[in-house]
Amino acid sequence: MKISRQGTAAAPVPKQMQRSKLRREIARHRSVYVLALIPLIYYIIFKYVPIWNSQIAFKDFMAIDGVLGSPWIGLENFRTFINSFYFWSLIRNTVMYSVGKLLISLPLSVILAIAIYECTRPGLRKVVQTLAYLPHFLSWVIMYGILLALLAPGDGVFNDVIELCGGKAVDFLSNTKTFPWVVLISDAWKEMGWSAIIFIAALMGIDVSLFEAAMVEGANSWQRVRYITLPAIAPVIVTVLILKLGTILDAGFNQIFMLYSPQVYAVGDIIDTWVYRQGLLEFEFGLATAVGLFKGVFGMFLVLFANWLSRKLTDSSLF
Amino acid sequence: MAVKVQKHLKPQIQNKKVKLTAADHVFNICVNAFMVFILIAIIIPVWSTVTLSFRPADFLGTNLEGMFLPPWDWSTDAYTALLGNDGFLDAFLNSFKILIGGVACALILTVPMAYVLSVQSLPGRKIINMIVIIPYVFNVGMIPAYLLVKDIGLIGHLPAVFLPGAISTYNCIIMRQFFVGIPNELKESARIDGCTELQVLFRIILPLSKAIVMTIGLYYGVSFWNDFFNAMLYLNDNYPLPILLRNILLASGMNEYVEVSAFGNAPVNAIKAASVFMSAIPMVIAYPFIQKYFTKGTLLGSVKG
Repeated sequence: MKISRQGTAAAPVPKQMQRSKLRREIARHRSVYVLALIPLIYYIIFKYVPIWNSQIAFKDFMAIDGVLGSPWIGLENFRTFINSFYFWSLIRNTVMYSVGKLLISLPLSVILAIAIYECTRPGLRKVVQTLAYLPHFLSWVIMYGILLALLAPGDGVFNDVIELCGGKAVDFLSNTKTFPWVVLISDAWKEMGWSAIIFIAALMGIDVSLFEAAMVEGANSWQRVRYITLPAIAPVIVTVLILKLGTILDAGFNQIFMLYSPQVYAVGDIIDTWVYRQGLLEFEFGLATAVGLFKGVFGMFLVLFANWLSRKLTDSSLF
Repeated sequence: MAVKVQKHLKPQIQNKKVKLTAADHVFNICVNAFMVFILIAIIIPVWSTVTLSFRPADFLGTNLEGMFLPPWDWSTDAYTALLGNDGFLDAFLNSFKILIGGVACALILTVPMAYVLSVQSLPGRKIINMIVIIPYVFNVGMIPAYLLVKDIGLIGHLPAVFLPGAISTYNCIIMRQFFVGIPNELKESARIDGCTELQVLFRIILPLSKAIVMTIGLYYGVSFWNDFFNAMLYLNDNYPLPILLRNILLASGMNEYVEVSAFGNAPVNAIKAASVFMSAIPMVIAYPFIQKYFTKGTLLGSVKG
């Protein structure tokens, strides 16, 4: 994504001249530094002080003693976490949700993009396009309200249909069997249109003469999708896949936080929701920070790896 | 790259010699059927919420029947109850303050940062870039951030909701990417004419970047408007809309969070659905504007090589 335009290395310049050139360059960009000042102060306060604060992962944090005053306890918090019974279930749930969302929403958004691209009815296409993007802009609180109207036992439309067909009403949101599916499908419902945009953009870059040639050669619509459209957007799919790999430990805190309840903690709890409850409801700041840090370090390696892979394979990266 | 409203996204091939085969017809039917399926899948949940909000108190049928209740039998009790409630108007006002303050703050911080990072000849640009990227890649989680907000005394004040997220590094990168794409000659000629960097930013860059600034501003606006987590953590009683909505939704018969009975005699479920709808309305109204810019902006940010 980044094109570096480094100057060509000319004949070696004497050191002194280099230094005075640098000084001149700095002087020339004085006002740029001034411009950078306020954002950089913001970064120090709001992004770096939290990193500094994260040292309480190695401390027995007491609010009274503050970050610096609390005693060091080494890796005790990490040990507590790794040895606890919820460790594997948290990891499993987190990965399950992020991988599951990817497995459902990626094919769905690719198919939606192709359908929007191929649709022969402009009216239908415009309506679907407009409506499919909209849910992305609704918050998970609103989504929760919609899901209640749809799924709640006794007053949800879904259960009415089930009962009409002779089945038994299910409390979808507090049943450990159905809850993961509610999470996965509601996420697909909300985000599929939005994730389709990037594929639609890629589709619109396809050279039409390819289709024309294929048509003359006698390829039908299915074959044209198989041999022209899909290969054309394959690099974009790979990029999206790789970049998602980097955020595999983010399973969607806002969504799960809104939808889950104590009955489904066993299948619904992810790292982030656990950190929230442990830290801010039970005031185990040190332990919660340790888990957050654990996730942060792993997440960092994943993002860096994904970024590197993306640059290697597709020549585009985030930074 | 520009997304024009055109009849077909895929350019239609006018080749009379090639006849559509049976497979082609099946393909078209499948495509259109899929589109109709998506349309229905999107509409049903929304429609069930909307009809629930208009349900009269004396309605006895199931929800399924409620979805087909004719509009002349609808009741607006839930809406009059909501709009007549002070808590709702206060929450709306708080949301609005967070939106305006947040977007202003975010743009004031993000635009200069993105511009600084786009000046290729800047000595030390790599260092500044590192300062921006490191916290993005290394996310230490919510507790250290909570401690910070607590330590600087923002708890209970509206800026606590938007200040922690006032620069999203991702948005900053997208904007920088756009600024880098503006031809260097334009900037250089302005500098030669004696413009300072501030003037280059305001006279040259910004007028050319309206679309991206609008898009990023809208991204920020949506995220601040929808935020409930920061508001829940940091605010005490000056709640914005999402928190009120959450409290209304979580209030069961026990009325733990809000007195649902304070909303008159409309049915509780109708109140819930109506507050969902009312919270979504501003976003739905703003949506056509958002849509106009975001498709452009998303493409600018993502596809650009």
